[in-house]
Amino acid sequence: MSREFVHERDLRFLLHEVHDLGSLTAYPYFEDHDRETFDLVLNTALKMARDRLFTTFRDMDQNPPCFVDGAVRVHPMVADFMKECGDGGWISATAPYDLGGQQLPRLLISACVFVFAAANYSASVYPMLTSGAARLIESFGSEDLKRSYIPNMFEGKWQGTMALTEPQAGSSLADITTQAQETGHGYFLIKGQKIFISASDHDGVENVINLMLARIKGAPAGVKGISLFVVPKKRVREDGSLVPNDLHIAGLYHKLGYRGAPIAQLSMGENDDCRGFLVGKPHMGLQYMFQMMNETRLEVGLGAAAIASAAYHAAVRYCKERTQGRRLAAKQAGSPPVPIIEHADVKRMLLFQRAIVEGSLSLGLQCCKYSDLSKTAPESDALKFQLLLELLTPAAKTFPSEMGILSVSQGLQCLGGYGYCDEFPLEQYYRDVRIHPIHEGTTGIHGIDLLGRKVVMKDGQALDLFRRELEDAIKTAEYYPELKPYAERLDKSLERLLEVTESLIPLKHSGRTELFLADATLYLEFFGLVAIAWQWLLQGTACDKMLKTNPPQTEFNFYQGKLYTMRYFFHYELPKTEALAKRLTEADGLTTEMHVDWL
Amino acid sequence: MKSLVCLKQVPDTETQIKVKPDGTGIVTDGIKYVINPYDEFSVEEALRLKEKFKAGEVVILTVGPDRCTEAIRTALAMGADRGIHVNDESLNDADPYSIAQVLAAAASQEGYDLIFCGHRAIDDDFGEVGAMLAELLQLPQVTLVTKLEIADDTQSAVVERDVEGGKEVIEVPLPCVLTSQKGLNEPRYASLPGIMKAKKKKIDKKTAADLGITSERKLAPTEYTMPPERKAGKKYEDMEPAEAAKIVVEALRSEAKVI
Repeated sequence: MSREFVHERDLRFLLHEVHDLGSLTAYPYFEDHDRETFDLVLNTALKMARDRLFTTFRDMDQNPPCFVDGAVRVHPMVADFMKECGDGGWISATAPYDLGGQQLPRLLISACVFVFAAANYSASVYPMLTSGAARLIESFGSEDLKRSYIPNMFEGKWQGTMALTEPQAGSSLADITTQAQETGHGYFLIKGQKIFISASDHDGVENVINLMLARIKGAPAGVKGISLFVVPKKRVREDGSLVPNDLHIAGLYHKLGYRGAPIAQLSMGENDDCRGFLVGKPHMGLQYMFQMMNETRLEVGLGAAAIASAAYHAAVRYCKERTQGRRLAAKQAGSPPVPIIEHADVKRMLLFQRAIVEGSLSLGLQCCKYSDLSKTAPESDALKFQLLLELLTPAAKTFPSEMGILSVSQGLQCLGGYGYCDEFPLEQYYRDVRIHPIHEGTTGIHGIDLLGRKVVMKDGQALDLFRRELEDAIKTAEYYPELKPYAERLDKSLERLLEVTESLIPLKHSGRTELFLADATLYLEFFGLVAIAWQWLLQGTACDKMLKTNPPQTEFNFYQGKLYTMRYFFHYELPKTEALAKRLTEADGLTTEMHVDWL
Repeated sequence: MKSLVCLKQVPDTETQIKVKPDGTGIVTDGIKYVINPYDEFSVEEALRLKEKFKAGEVVILTVGPDRCTEAIRTALAMGADRGIHVNDESLNDADPYSIAQVLAAAASQEGYDLIFCGHRAIDDDFGEVGAMLAELLQLPQVTLVTKLEIADDTQSAVVERDVEGGKEVIEVPLPCVLTSQKGLNEPRYASLPGIMKAKKKKIDKKTAADLGITSERKLAPTEYTMPPERKAGKKYEDMEPAEAAKIVVEALRSEAKVI
């Protein structure tokens, strides 16, 4: 099995040559860091991924979590990996020094999470969830909650989760019914059911801390009545010992892929003794939870790109070794067969995968940089970066998730019949990647989020900032004659996006909300293509700049490979925006008018 | 317990090595370098000794060009205390004897209870430096160490080493040279706090002249070549298993000459 699952050179290229990781050290929060530190961190992540994660990738799929005597057993590597991530400071990596963190940029740590996810997506999720849950307590919890929970979570002893979904309320969180009753003793009594909760019980840690949405008795209906609680599996007594918190696992789900991580149904308060501790103010829960959801959404996008990256590398390796057929122009009977990578159509499949993987990764990292800047830049700039981050999150989550499936599928296709069999890892990647358009908000939800909220928020200010970012990239690329045609193509696509947006907004203003959002998913697809093209143009510009310096052969090959992949994206993928624009401007209500009985 | 850990930076095991067209060496463009895996066992063992005795120092000793700083820094991030980096153009591509000379000179300036070497480096595979270093310093040496117990009085050690088909247990007085073998321990990863601390740790830069030596090279490579490409296999089809076995055995004996 191929041992390469990420392109290390590409990671360094994106971090330093495209997104200029070093520039973040100009801000006080990151000022202690330098290139040497960044390299050591990335090298360590690569080593851990290769030695610990990739080696158990298959075994975790073949030995999924099981439910025994009311508890969930997971692969033994989970306990080791959580300890490693705790001891190594990975869970707290971006947190401030005073909380035991290292104040490292999210841009860098997300690249490391990408590496972990490419090596073994299931394993990567455990520390990542813990990190997000701890950050949520850090942002909104009381000092007491911070003291009681964050240290053990950062040390990898306690797992963190996000517990939102209920049997009757998935995409529509407004409909959750889990109840929280005030006791007057510093805690609430929680009662209800949650489903599809990742890592919500397992034997790789001593406790699980659920960040749970519930409704305080008497709270207003809808999203304005939702509060956030810390609901531990075991609660901490005054002497520090742990006792069960009347939180039970009602069962495990058996999944298509991503089988190394358990997804469970939780039942709280069967004996009226499940205690929850309010985070922040009552009824602000959903707003708080959006912090973790938005962070996790970026990680889901990066996770999908990571799986597609591993699949791409397995496919390239196979295509270089597998001989079959002859070049179409040199069909001589008896001549030796060529490696299939020589065939134009196989190259096309590989270019497609690379364009998706590296374009998606670049967009994910771009968002992480905006996230870093939104927390460290001076106030006026910070708001700008926050708006850009909010606007781009639906695309950075959805484009890799949707296109990652197609990318892995093409990887599997490269292996033909072998790809369909479990002797090769492609079938597992194909199963593993399928979750991403579903969890952390389905694609449909993100479409509505983008068009219904993000594009129109603050009078379209975020979209305007996005336009300016693209125009800057276009202007820079135009200096390079080889890139000029691509800069023009991006300019055209941007113009088309803005026109489509202009044509849709009046539907909103005239109250035709259903029609306005009917094809929001297509709008998201369109937006994603433009955003990825922007990232490819940035990459192309960085390559062209370096090619002018007469680099050594290996570097020359790397930059050429990048440029060809950029060109591929512009010639094969970006034109899809033309068809999308056509459909989006029709706004004829085909789906809104379609009668349910006719389906 | 003061340990000197001799550490070499080598191409990553995953790197595809290419020989230069003129056969004078390998193409270094695009190579990723890592700590020699056997030296990682040494670093880990030295750290464990320091932790066990709650005293002492772990000093990393490296000979090589600028790029080796990264390997030293990685060992410091694992927990080593400081580094010595002998960086001298005259020592680039040095032979094992020259390296042993440099290490012996540096070690003499330092003082030590134990010196660790990897039992070999995975790039040139000589496996000679540890033995030569022990000889130059007039120290006992135990090679291929897979287990180490230091006596409470720190005057001696009981060492397990690999021998053909089994283990050999040896008692050795300190100071001594030990060469690490796989199985000695499982090296830790650098932690993020460790990486931050490593930035502030000292790496002494030295030249051959600082150590008062001039390289006395005993070996010079004449040519590098890649192993010949594997030839296509042969198929024996359409015959009874017994007959096929006979033919295959004969072919292995007379054609392949492997039995």
